[in-house]
Amino acid sequence: MPESAQTATATPPAPGSDGAADGHARSQRITRFIAANQWVLLLALTLVLGLFTGLMNERFFNSRNLISILEQSSVLGLVAAGATILIISGNFDISVGAIIGLAAVVMAIMVLAGYPEELAMLAGILVAVVCSVFNAAVSRLFQAPTFIVSLATLGIYTGISLWLTSGLIQVTPQNFNFLAGTRIGGNIPLIFLIGLVGYVAVGFLLKYTKIGRRTYAVGDNPRAAFLSGIDVSRTTVMLFAINGILVGMAAIVLISRIGSAETDTGAGLELRAIGAVVIGGVPITGGRGGVVGTFFGVLLLGVISNMLNMLRVDPFLQHIAFGGLIVVAIGVSWLRTRVGNEG
Amino acid sequence: MGDRSQGPVLSLEGISKAYPGTRALVDVSLDLHAGEVHGLIGENGAGKSTLMKILAGVVHPDQGHIVIGGVEHRRLTPGSALEFGVSTIFQDADIVRSLTVADNIFLGHEPTRGLTVVDTRQQQRVVQGLIDELGVSLDPTKLGADLTPAERQLTMIVRALRFDPAVLVLDEPTSSLGQTETEHLLGLIGRLAHQGLGIIYISHYLEEVLHVADRVTVLKDGQHVATRPVDGITPDDLVRLMVGRDASAFFVKEPVDIGEVMMRAEGFTGPGIEEPASFEVRRGEVLGFGGLVGAGRTELMELIFGVRKASSGTLYIDGETHRPSSPREAVAAGLSLVTEDRGGSGLLPDRSVRENIASAWNELRGLLVRGERQMSEGIVDRLGVVTPSVEQEVSRLSGGNQQKVVIGRWLAVDAKVYLLDEPTKGVDVGAKHDIYGLISDLLKQGRAVVIVSSDLPELLSISDRIAIMRHGRIVDTVPAADATEQSLMRRFLGVTDA
Repeated sequence: MPESAQTATATPPAPGSDGAADGHARSQRITRFIAANQWVLLLALTLVLGLFTGLMNERFFNSRNLISILEQSSVLGLVAAGATILIISGNFDISVGAIIGLAAVVMAIMVLAGYPEELAMLAGILVAVVCSVFNAAVSRLFQAPTFIVSLATLGIYTGISLWLTSGLIQVTPQNFNFLAGTRIGGNIPLIFLIGLVGYVAVGFLLKYTKIGRRTYAVGDNPRAAFLSGIDVSRTTVMLFAINGILVGMAAIVLISRIGSAETDTGAGLELRAIGAVVIGGVPITGGRGGVVGTFFGVLLLGVISNMLNMLRVDPFLQHIAFGGLIVVAIGVSWLRTRVGNEG
Repeated sequence: MGDRSQGPVLSLEGISKAYPGTRALVDVSLDLHAGEVHGLIGENGAGKSTLMKILAGVVHPDQGHIVIGGVEHRRLTPGSALEFGVSTIFQDADIVRSLTVADNIFLGHEPTRGLTVVDTRQQQRVVQGLIDELGVSLDPTKLGADLTPAERQLTMIVRALRFDPAVLVLDEPTSSLGQTETEHLLGLIGRLAHQGLGIIYISHYLEEVLHVADRVTVLKDGQHVATRPVDGITPDDLVRLMVGRDASAFFVKEPVDIGEVMMRAEGFTGPGIEEPASFEVRRGEVLGFGGLVGAGRTELMELIFGVRKASSGTLYIDGETHRPSSPREAVAAGLSLVTEDRGGSGLLPDRSVRENIASAWNELRGLLVRGERQMSEGIVDRLGVVTPSVEQEVSRLSGGNQQKVVIGRWLAVDAKVYLLDEPTKGVDVGAKHDIYGLISDLLKQGRAVVIVSSDLPELLSISDRIAIMRHGRIVDTVPAADATEQSLMRRFLGVTDA
């Protein structure tokens, strides 16, 4: 029988030598440790970067600078807490930046028109909830991914706030700024605590409530969730409503910090929030992860942002740094699922 | 009969293939001569499709080799299979709906003018030539979307022939064809064989196989049972060869009092169920559903459970009337469904055993999750799930233990009726035994069980009555005690003359 060329190429690859298998097992243990304890790594990285920045520029350790990092982290923290729920459930809301702009503009216009601040804040949250829920509703109605739907509504929300303001900046009166001005115990900014409340609420929701169980189930295997009796549409709408509340709160904190509102007030926050969540260890495919990772992801982004400013890195280059960081985080996320599959 | 003088055009020698939990093929040998039509038959899961995938180069055998035209190959790839002259037409032949017949035939191998422009006219000329040669009627310019099932099948055959194969493998080519179309196709197959092509013909329709084939090979449980010339063989002979599996883990029926009607399904129609389907199951009773793959058993379960929208149908469960339009409502009514596709629609793979067991249980309770751990540990103990703890990720368990977890989900909510679709598929013998034991317990507690199974000994030993489905209809319901594997298989296949 003639010897076929295919016989040689078709021979299965020689079984891996034992030495290679050993090394493989070790690297697997290491990656698995990273997978399980990502937040420890993030904390360590944050501290190392902080220390490095402090050595280069001692103003970093200035208490005013540290407080400002916390303040900056509070807006992103609220948005990222909402994004954590959504991404775990297998959803994305790309329109949150636009929603913050719209909510902020509405609040500013109301305050300027003489409405009480409390009413304006309530309206701001309501606007955010309605916008976020609209994304979910359209997605479920037309069976389209929320990522794409929110990409479309981003334009709608931006357009509405441009139309409301004619593109002009709305400066809020001084007294709207009390939130940002308040310090608890002399040092801790109130808005940082508001941010913390957001994390705690999301953490509690995910861990101790039926809504949390549904979030993971829908993100992990929507079909199995559906067959378990979970109403996937209702769950999605509810999660986007919760996201809306957090985004509305973020808009309030933001407007009180900067004292004015315009259409692109929240621009770019959506990507930073998604980045923080992914850096925190939620896989982009959903179904796993938690809010603790997000907390440290936000903190790391805050420190890096501050560091780049302190080291006088060209602001244009900062974009590259953040983008690159998220790419790395996606790589880590891929590594995690790979480790999981090999398990 | 084929030309034997030159030796077989294709032989499979000692082919084995195992998947986790099942041995799909065990030391199977088969040969095919030029000009021969070789029928390949067997029950669901007998290994026909694995064999075909190996020939198509989609699946690689663990052992054995494939000899094509005297050249030995350890395994094929889709490309090399075509190159060596083996063309395979799968059952659900994928036609691109937006392309013409000619485009579909040339898909991936388009003749081009210059670098990129597809030479449509040349395509059509070549295709028309092939069509004329075959003596069939097919318009090369017709769009894929407008083709009848018979035309789709013809398109795939022409596409396969364009590679000038020595061997053609056909999988259930007539399953969606009418009587006349089937006769035309069988005629065409006969002519192709006459021209010297070796043809492997896989089908559930025994009469067809006996009509068109020269020899027929029967597979059972992945093993070669017999290869016979068709002369003098009857469909009954074939059925006898196909069944009679020895099951290592039998279901031992314990006497249980069968009580009043627990669930009655009345007049269910919907996608895949053409004729109103009605059946009932009593407390302490197992109603089995038998039939071939594609007979509509899974579809019927999904209609009842509200997974698919039923166009009509009413459920009576424990004296109450329900029309579940979603699984959520079905669960609330006391129904449960264990699907056939454990990974795709049963498990939450990345979540813990605890969360998997509690996913339906939580839905029937308040906002705050309490007592989940204790509850799930109770279920794990009751079912004997082998896991280090309930916190273990469910994807790390074995298939049998995963299946127990999926069933445990419904024990947690104490369902009244259990719809189990192939509950022991891909499960090891030990877990199978445990699942049978669990079903016994459920019956003693007065629950009702509906089980879909393609494993005939299992179906016979576990069921009190067996509903037989064929082509989306319940054709009959028989007491299991009166049925045999052969009588069932005959009914599944529609072999009329016993």
